[in-house]
Amino acid sequence: MPRSSLGLLQGTVDVLILRTLSWASMHGYGISRWISDRSAGALALEDAALYQALHRLERKGLVQSEWGITEKNQRAKYYKLTPAGRRQLRTEVAELRQYMAVLFQVLDPASRIHATNSRHPA
Amino acid sequence: MPRTPGIRREFRFPWRNRRQVAEDVDAELAFHLARRAEELVAAGLSADDARREAARRFGDLEYTTRYCRDEDVRRERESHHMVKLEALRQDLVYALRALRSAPGFAVVALLTLALGIGANTAIFSVVRGVLLRPLPFPDADRVVRIWHASAADNDYRSPLSEPDFKDWSAAASRFTSLAGYWYAPGGSGADLTGVGTPERLEGAFVTPEFFPTLRAAALVGRTIRPDEAVQGNDLYMVISYGLWQRRFGGDPVVVGRPLTINGVPRTVLGVMPPDFTYPADRIDFWIPLSTIPATAIGRGRVSRFLDVIGRLKPGVTVAQGRDELAAIARRIAAREPADKNFTGVTVVPVREAILGPVERPLLLLLGAVAFVLLITCVNIAGLLLARATSRERELAVRSALGAGRGRIVRQLLTESLVLAFLGGTLGVGLAYLGVHALGAIGAAELPRASEIRIDATVLLYALGVSMAAGLLSGVLPALRAASRNLQGMLRAGARGSVGAGHRLRGALVIGEVALAAILAVGAGLATRSFAHLLNVDPGFRPEHLLTVKLSIPSSYFDADRAQAYYQEILARVGAVPGVRAVGSAKYLPLRGTGEPWPSLIVPGTVGGPGDREIRLPVLHVSAGYFHAMGIPVRAGRTFTTADDGKHPVVLVVNQEFVRRYWPAGWDAGRVLRAGDTPIQIIGVVGNVRQRSLTEPAEPMGYIHYLQNMRSGMNLAIRTAGDPLYYVNAVRQAIWSVDPRQTITSIEPMSAVLGDTVARPRLLTSLLLLFGAMGLALGALGLYGVLSYTVSQRRQEIGVRVALGATPGSVLALVVRQGMTLALVGVVAGIAGALLLTRLMAAVLYQVRTTDPATFAAVVLVLLGTALLASWLPARRALRIDPVQALRYE
Repeated sequence: MPRSSLGLLQGTVDVLILRTLSWASMHGYGISRWISDRSAGALALEDAALYQALHRLERKGLVQSEWGITEKNQRAKYYKLTPAGRRQLRTEVAELRQYMAVLFQVLDPASRIHATNSRHPA
Repeated sequence: MPRTPGIRREFRFPWRNRRQVAEDVDAELAFHLARRAEELVAAGLSADDARREAARRFGDLEYTTRYCRDEDVRRERESHHMVKLEALRQDLVYALRALRSAPGFAVVALLTLALGIGANTAIFSVVRGVLLRPLPFPDADRVVRIWHASAADNDYRSPLSEPDFKDWSAAASRFTSLAGYWYAPGGSGADLTGVGTPERLEGAFVTPEFFPTLRAAALVGRTIRPDEAVQGNDLYMVISYGLWQRRFGGDPVVVGRPLTINGVPRTVLGVMPPDFTYPADRIDFWIPLSTIPATAIGRGRVSRFLDVIGRLKPGVTVAQGRDELAAIARRIAAREPADKNFTGVTVVPVREAILGPVERPLLLLLGAVAFVLLITCVNIAGLLLARATSRERELAVRSALGAGRGRIVRQLLTESLVLAFLGGTLGVGLAYLGVHALGAIGAAELPRASEIRIDATVLLYALGVSMAAGLLSGVLPALRAASRNLQGMLRAGARGSVGAGHRLRGALVIGEVALAAILAVGAGLATRSFAHLLNVDPGFRPEHLLTVKLSIPSSYFDADRAQAYYQEILARVGAVPGVRAVGSAKYLPLRGTGEPWPSLIVPGTVGGPGDREIRLPVLHVSAGYFHAMGIPVRAGRTFTTADDGKHPVVLVVNQEFVRRYWPAGWDAGRVLRAGDTPIQIIGVVGNVRQRSLTEPAEPMGYIHYLQNMRSGMNLAIRTAGDPLYYVNAVRQAIWSVDPRQTITSIEPMSAVLGDTVARPRLLTSLLLLFGAMGLALGALGLYGVLSYTVSQRRQEIGVRVALGATPGSVLALVVRQGMTLALVGVVAGIAGALLLTRLMAAVLYQVRTTDPATFAAVVLVLLGTALLASWLPARRALRIDPVQALRYE
């Protein structure tokens, strides 16, 4: 089960992966690097959890995989979003945002997180 | 989610098996670990440390590997599934589109299939209701019908006398029980009075073993106990579900209450379940036999009136049961003079006894209707074949685009299955109508007709038949279409070739014509037989004859007024304006025979045979009976009202009696002897088919009512015009004597005759219908093939015409081809018919199964139809314009 330095909430692994893949198709290692780079190491997604999530998402038809060749000429499995994955990402981000807003409204009414109309993709 | 995730991937990945999935997962994870290790080495770790650290950071590798493999395998399976479903959906969509694009073909195919499947479903629903549904008593296969048999009297199905029945019951050890009952259709009825309108009920008088032998339990209340069926304590009855619903609205309070039957109150013990209607479909009550006084039905050994059933003990065969009863019968025959001739028994499983007479005709119909469907299938196969040929290009394109042979076969089969399914759905609708129509043309006369309905089993049968029809008609064209060199065809750019496909279609047409010929022969034979039946001279004149069935109430008998009452009814009915003559008999012809007079002596003649003892059926009639019925008097005189109880009993006999016993002829001095009493034979009348139209008259006697009174009264009323006009006046005339008199039925004699030929009529009309369907389908098939040939040979015919062929030779070209096919088919069909119509022997009346006239007529009709079916396409060939035909293509 996922374990990380900043404990990742159940379900957020999937949305993180979908978000990562919304930029470009990547292999598993690339996704891992991308997330830890973006969060400056704060979000440490365990590799085991990453791969389990990837295969689960693929079965659900949210991502699609394909063997490809890396820049270093190695054979690697690349994942990309399917249209269904893109739709799923959009709803999950919206739900997460709303959830956070409500959560913080309760925890700390002064510092509200604005449910800004973000430029999230798709 | 994309609609078909598997489809697009199909082109990139073929299906991965479990091992390939495992390899992929392993490779993917190995790549990850290698990259992570590289990263760590770059950060300064040694290669070994880096590998260890990468593995540590990864987490549970073993579990993840397993997890990923499982997910992938499941995904493979799911998408495989999706692809299959998708392919099916595609096939269905494609099939429907293909049908829409050929509406002419689709309509013809659907209609013929609907007719074929509908007819099959309707006939099957009858067969299921009547033959296949189990009888309404448990272990019915151990229940048998039992008769006394006398070879000397040529009577193998005689009822038993009560003493014989009791002796048999006491001695039979291989039976759980024997039971006797007296039931005569329209004869063993009784009047219900005291609740609402008086009604004549139909019922059976039974011994106490009746219900236990059938193992029948009451629905409400209970059946009759042995101590409730003894003289002195037997005023009980069990009523049928039908009567319970009809008269009492299904109210259970009726149980335990008395009903007045024949003027005597009897307590209702119970109500039987709806399906228990033994011994007749329409039955209202069961009453202990002991309530019938010996004065009404004699209880001596000569009085044979009991129908007997028995239940074999487990493990005992019918033959073993028969052997035991036969031994008992022989012992009694040796001891009892009255049973002298009755040394045998007839034992038949009850199912056979009830259904035996209808089994053969019904199975025959089922066979015939299967033939119709077979012709339909062959016909559609021919149409599909022709279509497949014209669709060769389309199939070739599909094949070029990657559709394998199996895929094309599957797609074409889907088309024919869709066709069959749609046809079957329409057919079930037709079957609903058909079952009602069957009831109207006589199926209601069948035993257990109330069980005929379209239920789940019948629907399942219809589905099965539809699918079978789809496969049968589709498999040959599909296989053939797929086996052609489709790619080559595409390259050649040719139109369909006239080759093997043509021969195959020819063969199909031959098969169709052959099947149609067999059906037509069957229909022809049945029609001839039916015509014979209608032409039978019944021995009386049935036209302008009204019949009324009634029973003189027992109160008149008690008061000794029965004879006066009887004469009064005859007089009043005779006085109705327009009534020419009126007579009465205990049973009218075709509705019952006379009472057997157990022992009469035909005195021997000097130089001829000695005294002979005979059993003679004797019918009770009124003086005017022969005149009213139109039965000719051949010699002597008939009864007058002077032949009454004050004078010695006299008899009238029929011609058959004279032929058999007095070959020298009748004269006024002829007598028979009953014991020592001489009975004068006063006259001879013409033979009447009393038992059935198909059985020649047996020796028979007539006795005058006034000398031997009976309660059963069947009026025969000769009317000036249509007998139905007189129904009301006759009824009023009867009620003017006693308004409480129940009338069982009033119907014209022609309807009585119609009822007796209802079954042959049903068989004949259905066989004719199926024969006509077969013929029409065969003609359609021939027409289709020839039309197709003409269109395919356009160019050739065009060239011929251009080179100077006469219209006659062009016509001959096409017609010759059609007639050749038809002729081969007819010959094959006649050969098949000679083999198959043997099965009809049992249902034919005075027609041999090889009747040359029928066969000749069938050949003519078929060839005539074939000529017509060939002529129309030939005419079209004639219209081909050579210039156009040559320019075409």
